[in-house]
Amino acid sequence: MTVKLLNTNQIMRQVSYALALGVGAQVYFFGSSVLIQIFLACITGLITEALFLRLRGSEIKPEIADGSVVLTAILLAISIPSIAPWWIIVLGVSFAVIFGKQIFGGLGNNPFNPAMLGYAFLLISYPMQMTQWPADYISMGQAADVIFGLSNIDGLTGATSLDHVKTQLTMGIPIQELELNSISQLWINIGFLIGGIYLLLRRIILWQIPVSLLSGVVVMSTALYLVDSNQFASSLFHLVNGATMLAAFFIATDPVTASTTPSGRIIYGFLIGILIVIIRVFGGYPDAVAFAVLLLNITVPLIDFYTQPKVFGK
Amino acid sequence: MLKFKYNGGLKLENPYPVDAIDLIRIPLPDKVVLPMQQRIGNQAIPIVSVGERVLTGQIVATIDDQRCAPVHASISGTVVAIDEHVYAHKSGLKGLCVTIESDGKDEWVDTSIGCTEHYEACTANTIYNKIRVSGIVGMGGAGFPTHTKVRLAEGCHTLLVNATECEPGITCDAALMQAYPTKVIRGIEVLLHICQAERAIIAIEDDKQDAIAALNKFCNNENITIEVMPTKYTSGAEKLLLKSLLGIEVPTGKFASDVGVLCQNVATVVAMFDAVVENRPLISRAVTVAGSAVKESKNFQVRLGASYDYLLSFVDIVEGSHKISMNGLMMGIELDSTNYSVSKNTNCVFIDQLEESKPTKECIRCGLCNTVCPVDLLPQQLYWYSKSENIDKAIEYNLLDCIECNCCSYVCPSYIPLVDYYQYSKSLYKQQVKEKQQTESARERYEFRELRLERNKRERAEMMEAKKIALKEKMAKDKAHKATVEAALERVDAAKSAHGSQDDG
Repeated sequence: MTVKLLNTNQIMRQVSYALALGVGAQVYFFGSSVLIQIFLACITGLITEALFLRLRGSEIKPEIADGSVVLTAILLAISIPSIAPWWIIVLGVSFAVIFGKQIFGGLGNNPFNPAMLGYAFLLISYPMQMTQWPADYISMGQAADVIFGLSNIDGLTGATSLDHVKTQLTMGIPIQELELNSISQLWINIGFLIGGIYLLLRRIILWQIPVSLLSGVVVMSTALYLVDSNQFASSLFHLVNGATMLAAFFIATDPVTASTTPSGRIIYGFLIGILIVIIRVFGGYPDAVAFAVLLLNITVPLIDFYTQPKVFGK
Repeated sequence: MLKFKYNGGLKLENPYPVDAIDLIRIPLPDKVVLPMQQRIGNQAIPIVSVGERVLTGQIVATIDDQRCAPVHASISGTVVAIDEHVYAHKSGLKGLCVTIESDGKDEWVDTSIGCTEHYEACTANTIYNKIRVSGIVGMGGAGFPTHTKVRLAEGCHTLLVNATECEPGITCDAALMQAYPTKVIRGIEVLLHICQAERAIIAIEDDKQDAIAALNKFCNNENITIEVMPTKYTSGAEKLLLKSLLGIEVPTGKFASDVGVLCQNVATVVAMFDAVVENRPLISRAVTVAGSAVKESKNFQVRLGASYDYLLSFVDIVEGSHKISMNGLMMGIELDSTNYSVSKNTNCVFIDQLEESKPTKECIRCGLCNTVCPVDLLPQQLYWYSKSENIDKAIEYNLLDCIECNCCSYVCPSYIPLVDYYQYSKSLYKQQVKEKQQTESARERYEFRELRLERNKRERAEMMEAKKIALKEKMAKDKAHKATVEAALERVDAAKSAHGSQDDG
């Protein structure tokens, strides 16, 4: 293993950079509204973190410089609809930083993935704003108007493929999968996949979680597909739609909240993959990454306890 | 090649690469300071006095302890002081040292008596004894008395000679093997003779090609094989070496000798050859002097007790603030000055340029430490429990199996000094055990006292009872006696009155 060793700050920065391709694809297909969200998220995150660090009486500069809050902010910003009103992301990031991270003692001590906690909070509290995805490319100016409430959102939104599948399923209409395949979703997921592979090669993340998570998705969706291919989408559909790749390489791999033993990581990732499909197909919300990850976060101590490796000489 | 593997470990580059390795003999130091305390065991007791003239190789201190070896004068001259000096140890504690000032003659004690070439005619016991009086200890860094270790491994099947060099940057064993390949081979033969193992394996890493060539050239004993292993840090740890070469996993809490293997460092083997065949006690060793502040790393054959300053006067050191460390970058210790002396287990002195300290951050549970731990621990969990002083839990997570190799601290992206935490926990655990023992013995003492009081009470009661019975018996007896007396008196009275009435009548 002769890979250049990175420190915590560099790791956080590298992960943020690795998101670039996926974000780039989002910008390409839906315009730069997502960049406004990222900007708002980062500002909110930094301010909230600084305030809380001050309240906790710890040093602000070195703590904030680790880049973890920026990463959380970016992850949340790219997960929400890019034309959601500004207060959505401000509220979400503040919640994520305060209740997802600082309240437990800051970096390294939080049991739940802060970005996903923020996402779940927003989705439950503001389901309408959180499900209005842009249907097409929106220019920067138009997006800014919508985000800051200067113009109406009507006419800009559309159902995502995941929404569509769910609607079809509930109405009992057979899926015409080819019609559903969305080229934008495909490229965004490919963007995150490439970024994830970069992280793997640099050994910033380990292979266990992404591989097992994607296997979980494939296994569960294939099982359903085999039961009834008219009602359930194929595993390919699940792999390249929604936040699957983002989850596999950037969210479930958050080291702080994931399982830490080698075999525990495999169980952890696999179960998230299974849950993603189950919640997507049978749950009430369109995407399922946040709930799947949060549910598995709770089980981490248990998984870690039962998957301790055999110690040398025991 | 390597048949078996162990998990973890690190592929580390030599931080101080050199073109050629050479063992340089340096002139005798003017003064040597010999520490009496050697790693474990009791402190040796000086048997010379201030002002006494000593010869090279003369025993200056000894003690009857199996975990301790005698100390020899490493130069001839006069004992000028027997006093306390700060030891080259993390604790910074002081210990007794014998200081000898050289007379420049290097006059030796008589080295003509002993086993010599005919060691094969000597019994194992004679040779153990020779090793003991020659003051030989493990020279890889452990400093454990060799005679005790060899004796413990009696009846072993394999002799494993550790020539892996414990850490990157240290080249003293390589230098020694290149300089004295025949001594290595013959030293192994001596060991094979005493421990009766069927075979010997020399474990050497593939970055020491010159040493490998030298050994190959002189090794013509078919019982000795040379195993070239890929260079990887912690391969030199005894138990891991056993696992990777022999496929034997030594159970936790046991030693190599428990699975029939005797493991010896190559420098120790050479020292043993010197002692047994050449009748020369351990008075010098090879030391690597290197570091980012040292212009060219060198290996010196130096007399024990020579000061670091003396050693450093033979290399060019870059000006500036320095970090001084001994015994390696990974498992060695940092020292505050160069005011220490070379001891039997000093394998290197590193002088590095002072780097900016790296601030420690919170653990992000990345688990990189798990992947490099050679003994498959969960360093991150151990850190968690050590930090919260939850010692029971740390023990449950096998704290005591940690070999303190520092691989985890090395890769930690948050620069957490993990092993420091483990050492702290281990000391807390030791204290806990000690306290538990103390309470246990206090409880035993208390219980014994209660028992004793109870017994005393019972015994007294029994005694009283016995007395009572005796008294009763006595009283009964007295009564009987009294009755007889009274009866007799009555009889006398009766007789008297009868007599009286006769008189009256």
